Amino acid sequence: MSSKNSNEPMLDIFIFETTQLIEQLEQSILTSEKSSCYTPAAINEIFRIMHTIKGSAAMMVFNNISTLAHSIEDLFFFLREKKPRHIDCSALSDLVLEGIDFIKVEMEKIKSGDNADGSASALINSIKDFLLTLKQGDTSTASLENTQKVDSKKYQYYISQDRSKTYAHRNAFKAVIHFEEGCEMENIRAYTVIHNLKEITDQVLYIPEDIIDDDDSIEVIRREGFQIYFKTDYSYENMHEFFMKIIFLKDLELIQSENDDEFREFSKIKQDVVDEYPIKAPKLQEQDKEIQSASAQQSIINVSVDKLDKLMDLVGEMVIAEAMVIQNPDLKGLELDSFHKAARQLSKITSEMQDMVMSIRMVSLSTTFHKMHRIVRDMCKKLNKEVRLEIIGEETEVDKTIMEHISDPLMHLVRNALDHGIELPEERLAKGKPQGGTITLEAKNAGSDVLIIVKDDGRGLNKEIILNKARENNLIHKDEADMTNKEIFNLIFLPGFSTKDRVSEFSGRGVGMDVVTKGVEAIGGSVLIDSNPNEGTTIMLKIPLTLTIIDGMNIRVGKSRYTIPTISIKESFKPKERDIIIDPDGNEMIMVRGQCYAILRLHKLYRIRNSIRNIPEGIIIMVEQDGEAICIFADELLGQQQVVVKALPEYIRRLKKIRGLAGCTLLGDGSISLILDSGGLINF
Amino acid sequence: MKKVLIVDDAAFMRLAIKTILEKNGFEVVGEAKNGIECIKKYKETKPDIVTMDITMPEMSGTDALKIIKELDPSAKVVMVSAMGQDVMVKEAIMQGAKSFIVKPIKEDHIVQTLNKVLET
Repeated sequence: MSSKNSNEPMLDIFIFETTQLIEQLEQSILTSEKSSCYTPAAINEIFRIMHTIKGSAAMMVFNNISTLAHSIEDLFFFLREKKPRHIDCSALSDLVLEGIDFIKVEMEKIKSGDNADGSASALINSIKDFLLTLKQGDTSTASLENTQKVDSKKYQYYISQDRSKTYAHRNAFKAVIHFEEGCEMENIRAYTVIHNLKEITDQVLYIPEDIIDDDDSIEVIRREGFQIYFKTDYSYENMHEFFMKIIFLKDLELIQSENDDEFREFSKIKQDVVDEYPIKAPKLQEQDKEIQSASAQQSIINVSVDKLDKLMDLVGEMVIAEAMVIQNPDLKGLELDSFHKAARQLSKITSEMQDMVMSIRMVSLSTTFHKMHRIVRDMCKKLNKEVRLEIIGEETEVDKTIMEHISDPLMHLVRNALDHGIELPEERLAKGKPQGGTITLEAKNAGSDVLIIVKDDGRGLNKEIILNKARENNLIHKDEADMTNKEIFNLIFLPGFSTKDRVSEFSGRGVGMDVVTKGVEAIGGSVLIDSNPNEGTTIMLKIPLTLTIIDGMNIRVGKSRYTIPTISIKESFKPKERDIIIDPDGNEMIMVRGQCYAILRLHKLYRIRNSIRNIPEGIIIMVEQDGEAICIFADELLGQQQVVVKALPEYIRRLKKIRGLAGCTLLGDGSISLILDSGGLINF
Repeated sequence: MKKVLIVDDAAFMRLAIKTILEKNGFEVVGEAKNGIECIKKYKETKPDIVTMDITMPEMSGTDALKIIKELDPSAKVVMVSAMGQDVMVKEAIMQGAKSFIVKPIKEDHIVQTLNKVLET
């Protein structure tokens, strides 16, 4: 089982399961630490997880992981059994978290096909030391140990014997059993033999006597064999057959004694025999009920993300293909009642299917959010700050791809908030704030977007420092007096911006906050920032719920087609000449129900020829984003349809960032339509 | 072919045991990831032999063993144990487990153990 190449599926499942367990473990530790002590349930859980990892890793011959898991398992076994009262919870958490980190690193190595060759011996030693101090420190341990011994004694002499059997057995035997080398736990194997033998007779004596509790018994059995003296009515042949059934039997020496001398001799060494131990069988009916409830939650399978990605792509292609069929130019002018009926049915099914596929890909943010607990904890320790992480709306779901993209930006934001935002306890007290700071991580749905908010109650952003820094790095291209707060704050997201002079371990590693904007923009999201001195900073990530398929309105300008996401369209109407206003700067506006909106001529923006110039002849589409609206002027509306968003080709994006474009899509007739980004157009 | 029910909370272990057993001519009729599931599967599949992990959530292997023995006194259950679980293995033997296998599992050990237990 040791060769890794032949075990690909096993390796996969090992990696998958162990990673999951590790995450579960981390959670459990952080929760325990927060409640400032380990509950018996938590201890048991950690013990079990370590036990499983130990077993699996040993199977895959990742011995370093296995030994480490074993030492942690031992530690928690001690905690579970002896329940020492004075535990240094924080040190314990540190140790286990360090162990988790080690396993994580090794798992990464395994995943990328490298040798898991890290050494955990230093860590294992500290775990052992910790266990040792626990054992010594707990004064009640000694007495507990005794009671435990007594307990196990009670177990030891149970024999399921038939008391009606008489003592007058005729045949006396001596048997010496040698087990195969490497069969492990010889003492228990010996116990099994005795257990089975006592079904036949109750006159049994054996060496070594103390099979279970004495650790040396294994060695004795390995060296000298397991010796049994017993009397029975069975014949030599019967008994030989009995012993041959022993598993991993290497050697059997079975002698029938002519007289009882040897037996009597041996009986002088007194052995306790037979103490009734009642078998406790749990009540069956209760268990049955549990069984039923448990089996109901049995219908989850794991699917690889690759497959889901492919499925999503296929559904995307199908949506395009559907449009190609239904909007096929060949159908123009034909009377096709039943075709349209069938087409509607098809559309309904494809859209349902698409919803389904999307929902499969949705994952809750809770794992990503809870990872932050660990970051906050570690940083607080290092920076001597007191910070509470509050999580709201962790059940909010986003597409799997989105989740991957925001995980790093989120981590960065939390680090920044903790490192730069939250003040030291003394400073906070001096300002009249509570000693411990709070970082709030919130997620909520807003239309087709998910909002993720990272909020701290720290010192807030300092406009002066930001401006100075930006000036130093030549990042300001505008009159500083004209800059709004928002614009100043946004400077921190520019590449090459960092206000911290000293590089700290956590947030200032040369990478600025621009990783946040980059990550979020890569998935079509945006970053909003707000801050008040001494009240704190709020950073909001606005992220589309799903990426690939949107409901869009196709419009035409000249010969070009554009698609506007339906969700951002407020209304569309035929404009009237008298509603159009031109301001002194020559900007066109339109009055709608007493409100004035700017008009954006698409043909002007994208330099399109042969389009309608006269506003009343075309159509106005009002789009809204973040409470701001703009009126887009186009030639005509072509119709609403589901479109598959494709990113603009790399070479175009590299060439120039075209404002107001979110991507492109294929229309039913095979032509390309550019998808407009309403947010980008409004802030043009 | 002898029917086996594999009980282990770790999917990895189940796969490992299953792979070995199927290679050696056993039929794996079911898998369970805790004691409760194991009892349900035992009733459904009526296996010739059960490999039972000891440490499991919901209901441990030893507890499940007790119930299975109540249901079917002739049930053949082989415990799967890690090193150092002596006391628990011993209790299992007392409750009627036929034998045990030690993790990390070795192919010849598990095959030999199951075959021997099935012979009796």
